[in-house]
Amino acid sequence: MKNSDSHKLYFFLIPLLVYELIFGIYPLIYNLILSFKNVNLVTYIAGTSPWVGFSNYVQILKDTVFQKTFFNTLIFTVLSLSFQFIIGVFLAVLFNHSFPLKGLFQSLIMVPWVLPIIVSGSFFRWFFGDRGMLNGFLLSWGFIDKPIPWLTSQILPIFSVTIANIWLGIPFNFVLLYTGLRAIPVELFESADIDGANWWQKIRFITLPLLKQIIITTFTLGCIFTVKVFDLVWIITKGGPGDVSHLFSTLSYNLAFEKFQFGRASSILVIMVGLVMCLTILLNSRKTKEESKIE
Amino acid sequence: MSKEQRTKKWTLITLIPTVIIIFPLYFIAIGGFQSVAEIFHSPPYWFPPNPSLKFYKDALITLFPYLKNSLIIALGNLALTLLVALPSAFALAKFRLKLGKPVSFILSFTQMLPVTAIVIPLFLIFNKIKLVNTYSSAIIGISVFTIPFATIVLRAYIQEIPIGLIEAAFIDGASVFRVFQSIIVPLSIPAIATTGMLTFITAWGDFAVSLSFLNDQAMQPMGIGIYRFVSQYGVEWNKLMAGSMIYALPPLIIALVAGKAIVSGLTAGAFKE
Repeated sequence: MKNSDSHKLYFFLIPLLVYELIFGIYPLIYNLILSFKNVNLVTYIAGTSPWVGFSNYVQILKDTVFQKTFFNTLIFTVLSLSFQFIIGVFLAVLFNHSFPLKGLFQSLIMVPWVLPIIVSGSFFRWFFGDRGMLNGFLLSWGFIDKPIPWLTSQILPIFSVTIANIWLGIPFNFVLLYTGLRAIPVELFESADIDGANWWQKIRFITLPLLKQIIITTFTLGCIFTVKVFDLVWIITKGGPGDVSHLFSTLSYNLAFEKFQFGRASSILVIMVGLVMCLTILLNSRKTKEESKIE
Repeated sequence: MSKEQRTKKWTLITLIPTVIIIFPLYFIAIGGFQSVAEIFHSPPYWFPPNPSLKFYKDALITLFPYLKNSLIIALGNLALTLLVALPSAFALAKFRLKLGKPVSFILSFTQMLPVTAIVIPLFLIFNKIKLVNTYSSAIIGISVFTIPFATIVLRAYIQEIPIGLIEAAFIDGASVFRVFQSIIVPLSIPAIATTGMLTFITAWGDFAVSLSFLNDQAMQPMGIGIYRFVSQYGVEWNKLMAGSMIYALPPLIIALVAGKAIVSGLTAGAFKE
């Protein structure tokens, strides 16, 4: 390639860079600035939001709703990740054979991922409703006498939305783990069979070590995707009743668009973005390590 | 047991979890054929007792204006995303650039960002420059996420194009623009199709961006139209489910026709950095 051409290459990158800097990175910086200001509807319109230092952060950390939200996010993330992973492994192992209709079934497993979120969200709102499907079955089978308030009690809503989110994450976990499993040469298992290994030994000494990288990637990506979930919870409970089922994202959205406390909302967003950034750096450093190993 | 019997047995075994996973979809689909009382019948009906097409018809009429908005936003986003992502994917895939590493980081970082972290500050900015309540605001907001995703997926595919082809073209005196136009674009058609489908599904199903930027009912896409249904008191659940099913059809058809491509595209986006 001629030398002058290598400069031309940047023409190919400029649209991307300009776009992501203006609409991806600049809002984050703007957001960081807002988190140190007292921004509400009046000061935003007047353009006179005063600096308040760390006061938004201090108030947020002291707020009992935020503390509750922190534990919700923790429960939501830990339960979602564990169950999505177990179900993903289970499906990946089942699909690691060839059988008729496999292609169709694989496409059907992708359904939770391709369905618009409002569709799955409304379904779960009905499913967990007081007169919804779940209570309908439980009542008619005689397991309960009166409807369980899946979405309207103090404790249950966060678990209900977690179940919905587990369902939502199945395709992603399945795809990653299945691809990883396919990459393991069949000969390894065949020679283990000849050596008389049982199924647990095969999992313990072949599958797990060879899948280690993919398992870590799946968990890190899963963590990022789960920590930032917004629409699903907003559609099912809106964080309610009475703020009991908020995640970081829904709480910040509630503060910004329903209470017009933009400064406080921004401070939660800064915390979230910081978390995601750490996880992304972790993920990228692992990838670079893997690459340098291959080279 | 013969080999054929054994593979048939696997079909049966895998059928069970597959059916459980798509069971919400089934109940949405049949919900659209029932009256509200039937939807809330206990125990729930497994089959509509008196199926009626009326609610699908009603939902289609009510949601028709939103359909146009959904198409404008999803297709506008698709065009913008491919236009920006394709050239940069080429530059990142085939050349060792000084800026390569930081650009890669910005890509994976912005792709991972929480949607609220972009939407809230962007709303405040857009509000000041009077961009709220325009199609562009929704298209721009969604693209913040689809552009990096598409770039990462396309880059993974373009990396597979033999470098020899490109070097030969350079030796013949072709410019980078020429190489891009005559080698990369034609050879990337399948990758562009896959990326395009994934991008379309994402934008079509968007909720958070449109919810925040489009207050004017005349601009809102189907997702928000359906949300207005859900958040009313005395929801007409049958119409809601019929509308949901209509809205879900384009992505469902794509998944059924091109399931394999979607799976490979998603993996490319997740693994290749």
